[in-house]
Amino acid sequence: MSDLPSTLTVARAPLALAIMSAAFVLLALSGVAFGSTWIPLDQVAGVLAGFGEKTQNIIVLQLRLPRVVIAALAGGGMAVAGFLLQKITRNSLASPGVLGVVDGAALGVVIFLAVLSDESNSLVTSIAYQPVAAMAGAIIAITLVFVLSGRQASSAIRLLLFGIAVAAVAKAVTMVMMLIGPIYQTSQAARWIAGAVNEVNWGEIQITAIAMVPVMLLVLLAARKLPPADLDEVSARGVGLDLPLFRILIFALAAGLTALAVAFVGGVGFIGLMAPHLARLLVGRNVYAGILGSFLLGAIMLIGADLIVRVLFTPIEVPAGTVTAVIGAPYFLFLLMGKQRHDG
Amino acid sequence: MTDNLSDSRIQVRDLSLDYGNVNVLKALSLPIARGKITVLAGPNGCGKSTLLRAIRRLHKPAAGAIFLEELDIARLNDKQLARQIGLLAQSPSAPGDMTVEELVRLGRYPHQSMLQPWSPGDSAALEKAMSGTGVTHLRSRRLGSLSGGQLQRVWIAMVLAQETDVVCLDEPVNHLDMAHQLDCLDLVRRLNREFGRTIVLVLHDLNLAARYADQLVFLRDGAIAASGTPEELMTEAGIRTVFDVRSMVITDPVHGRPLCIPLGTDTVLSA
Repeated sequence: MSDLPSTLTVARAPLALAIMSAAFVLLALSGVAFGSTWIPLDQVAGVLAGFGEKTQNIIVLQLRLPRVVIAALAGGGMAVAGFLLQKITRNSLASPGVLGVVDGAALGVVIFLAVLSDESNSLVTSIAYQPVAAMAGAIIAITLVFVLSGRQASSAIRLLLFGIAVAAVAKAVTMVMMLIGPIYQTSQAARWIAGAVNEVNWGEIQITAIAMVPVMLLVLLAARKLPPADLDEVSARGVGLDLPLFRILIFALAAGLTALAVAFVGGVGFIGLMAPHLARLLVGRNVYAGILGSFLLGAIMLIGADLIVRVLFTPIEVPAGTVTAVIGAPYFLFLLMGKQRHDG
Repeated sequence: MTDNLSDSRIQVRDLSLDYGNVNVLKALSLPIARGKITVLAGPNGCGKSTLLRAIRRLHKPAAGAIFLEELDIARLNDKQLARQIGLLAQSPSAPGDMTVEELVRLGRYPHQSMLQPWSPGDSAALEKAMSGTGVTHLRSRRLGSLSGGQLQRVWIAMVLAQETDVVCLDEPVNHLDMAHQLDCLDLVRRLNREFGRTIVLVLHDLNLAARYADQLVFLRDGAIAASGTPEELMTEAGIRTVFDVRSMVITDPVHGRPLCIPLGTDTVLSA
């Protein structure tokens, strides 16, 4: 594959994206069709077009469609965040998970649940602020990674190491908070940390979608400046990329996207690592194709993971995040072992 | 040479630069001639690479300034500067699965913006840069499949595509064998003679420096020790002062440039 001329790579991207889009639509429809009762695909399409009967309407629109939509948004958002981080650190091992963003968001959620609950364990504020807490935790985590790494921030490896360290600290504090917290909060927090797309309602989807649109627009605007990020720092600055500043912008965007993606769904693992890496293999180096491909693959992965847990474990609700972790962890190892060949 | 000031493309004025608490460049001033090859040389740690990077504004000066004509480079934004000064890094790196053409295209980056996407002018510059460096036939090859010499040509093509009047190269032949060193520096000389670029070059090898420099600059301890033609600088006394090396300087019978034959060091270098 490494000898393919670039003309093929260029022609390959639209085809790969078309196939991904088709797979995405098919999987999304299947995600709605599967469940305790099977609804044939043509009837799913009928409900979506507004011609469904009443019970089917409720099942499709209130129970199944929300989890498909949030899975697409969260999976896609996390994948794009991973794409940005892999690009700006020039390292295919970078992901929102490795950089401490997800664990920071988890800590934000746990602190939110602990601090803002009264004696009877009910929240004194709206649960709608949970994503704000996740966002704050994510941004504080990524800021810490940057501040601590300081002058070493130009080294991708150092950044990853600091990210892992910050993630470990956040994880430890999260664990302590959960152990000393009331049971209600602990289970709520545990559900968040595993990452599940059930129990998400349209209101939460709306918040996620509305917040994600401006961030995605910023990502697309910033994407124009991304190509030189493939080069070493001196060469990238040599062709005019305003690197220290631009890197901070990209990290902030990735942190924002990750926080939005995980806010309701929780810390779904490894999609931010796998999807952008696969997307780059499939669509090549173009940044717009890479962003779109990452989003589609991330969405496919989380919808697919949710579908798998529903088919395998019904009626028990197993978090979709367990599937991505089971598949993602070996993938990470595989990447790590293959990486030696490219270094040096 | 006539009036030095009006003939210079770049003016380094009273430049001081620190790394943390270490003062690397000390109130250094240097005019760099327009349309010439200027070679910065000196012993390890003399600040030659730092000076080159400062000229490309990769380091922020503690004091002093660098002027392009009468323009302070501190007043330019990153892309404006990248249209004026190109830079080949000391150890540039790009992904091994990137193609030659993809890398050379990045040289057009500072010429593009949201309102100016890829244009026929960019394509022309790309083709010109690739043919000028003899890498057109490699355009679809992945960087990882190239030899060291080919790769260095491709990087020079990228800097050439940038179409900057000034091109800085930081030890471009360090890791190349003898044939590729000459090949690379001949190419740099062509950029100067045929494309009229002002070249600023950091070189380790004194004899290579003498062979290719129009203007030779010796640095020592963050200051200019001497500046002039290779013939003026490459004397036995001059080399001993700057490099602590006893040598014999003869005239290269082929090229007519001074040639240094090192005899030994003055100082005992500690391990």
